[in-house]
Amino acid sequence: MVNPVLLLAVPMGLAFTVPVIERITGRVSRWVPVAAMLFNLVLCVRLIPAVLEGPVIVQLGGFVPPFGINLYVGPLGLFFAGLIALAGLVISVYSLTYIRTGPLARYHMLYILLLVGATGVALTGDLFNLFVFFEILCISSYALVAYNGDRAGLESSVKYLIQGSVGSSMLLVGIGMLYGIFGTLNMADIARSVGMVDQGVLFVPLIFMLGGLGVEAAIFPMNAWLPDAHSSAPSSISAVLSGIAIEVGLYAVARMVFTVFGISDLFLFLAFLGVLTLLIGEMCAFAQSNIKRMLAYSSIGQIGLILFALAVASGVTVTGGLFQFVNHTFSKGLLFLSAGYLIYRSGSMEISSLQGMGRRMPLTSLAFTVGSFSLVGLPPFAGFPGKFLIVRGALERGGTVIVVLTGLVLLCTILEGAYFFRVVQALYFREGISGGSGERAPAAAAVAMILLMMLILALGAYPQFAETFLRSAASDLMGAVEHVGSVL
Amino acid sequence: MTFLNEYAFYIGAFGLILIGLLTILLRHHLIKLIIGLSIMETGINLFLIAIGYISRGTAPIFPVDGGAGTVMVDPVPQALVLTAIVIGVAVLAMALGMAIRLHGHYGTLDMRRIKELKW
Repeated sequence: MVNPVLLLAVPMGLAFTVPVIERITGRVSRWVPVAAMLFNLVLCVRLIPAVLEGPVIVQLGGFVPPFGINLYVGPLGLFFAGLIALAGLVISVYSLTYIRTGPLARYHMLYILLLVGATGVALTGDLFNLFVFFEILCISSYALVAYNGDRAGLESSVKYLIQGSVGSSMLLVGIGMLYGIFGTLNMADIARSVGMVDQGVLFVPLIFMLGGLGVEAAIFPMNAWLPDAHSSAPSSISAVLSGIAIEVGLYAVARMVFTVFGISDLFLFLAFLGVLTLLIGEMCAFAQSNIKRMLAYSSIGQIGLILFALAVASGVTVTGGLFQFVNHTFSKGLLFLSAGYLIYRSGSMEISSLQGMGRRMPLTSLAFTVGSFSLVGLPPFAGFPGKFLIVRGALERGGTVIVVLTGLVLLCTILEGAYFFRVVQALYFREGISGGSGERAPAAAAVAMILLMMLILALGAYPQFAETFLRSAASDLMGAVEHVGSVL
Repeated sequence: MTFLNEYAFYIGAFGLILIGLLTILLRHHLIKLIIGLSIMETGINLFLIAIGYISRGTAPIFPVDGGAGTVMVDPVPQALVLTAIVIGVAVLAMALGMAIRLHGHYGTLDMRRIKELKW
């Protein structure tokens, strides 16, 4: 069996060779992210059979947990690593031609580092290690948001940096408190002894950690940075930030709540928070006239939806929530990637300037349409099974509060449909206005968009393939006892 | 006084964290925000060290004679702080670099005047 630590070591090693390769020959360096992510994807596929039999525990440096740092490669961690590798691969193919100006080598290096950080968060079994990988993810995304070096990019990047650093600091305080209480940083070790401590004592570190991770996950009161950062970054980076970075933040929140703390009193509060995030995100998205800002607010809404699904905490909704993770990564990735070239072509981010694009850029417009239909949750696309599972699971779970919240979720879907269909209508059914450059999406970008469209259609047509794997991932997330048993 | 003796480090640490947080919340000058961030990080590092501190403990290095009878502090938080300091330096450098670029664009570092983006 291959060692899962290569999932982190190889891309990180490749990331630091990018500047060297750039020195030797400038034309090869942009292919490095593609190679790194392809390697990760192959490795993830090869690990699937072993992981389905039981989680793979890697002891880094040969130290036995809880004394050493361990990687926990369960179905859930592998699911995230694979998702990151797949989305990272497609988006790196897109940025082969999309990113043409600026310090290219640094872009590709930071891009790989961002994905390595995300993979590390998904795989690690140690709290401080989680913090370190989170910082790798955050620092590279601060830099990438400002990649264009324009006014909007720098301003949003500084805002993101300050809010993100405060969030990371809160996370570190929470981790410190946990170390003070338990004398260990290993997640499984803490989960084992968490029942022996007074719940009131745990409340303070939990709030610190949820607050800190919530900034990165863009949960409602802490998401002021997101619309600016996601709309000012280059489109390929917006796709990674929306599709991977905030989802990894939400994954970390779920890991804390389910595995480490195992607190079920908090679920109703988190479900409320999720629906609140969903409502705020969708209502703000509805009011936007700038297409990238609209997509950014829609990401906030999706995070709220997934948080709600995880917080209802029945097997079906968690599976649905994980399905929605996949759907959001693919669809939002596709939307940002196609929006990137729509914006190039029209020369403006305003939705009104996109009128008539359906005839001038048929493929890109089709990609945008598929992405928005999938995100709204129309049946032949990947969004439908996810939302269906969430709503079904929540109604099965019952309880007046949950049913009312589910009603609100459905209401938000209508809002979502309204603003996405408005854009699709502008693309196809409005008279075009001339202007902007005559640039078409080049081959690499077209390949990336077609790949994502095919993935969305395949997932929508055959959800049961993904569902079996996702069901074991869901039980991995909710089974703290098995986690403890397999690590220690 | 025993209370102060026992919790002096924690009071100091959280004092610094609060000072940093208040600086970030109340000031508008970007450099002052970054200073606030730095103060907060220092407070957190002090907090981590305080968790592992044992009264009158020495550095956790075993002397040649085996060090029987000496009390040593917990080495793990010290390792964490080393890492946290390195991360803090990276964030600080990043923030200051951006401040320079931002000043080039706007001619000011007053965050009240740098607001082209809105909700």
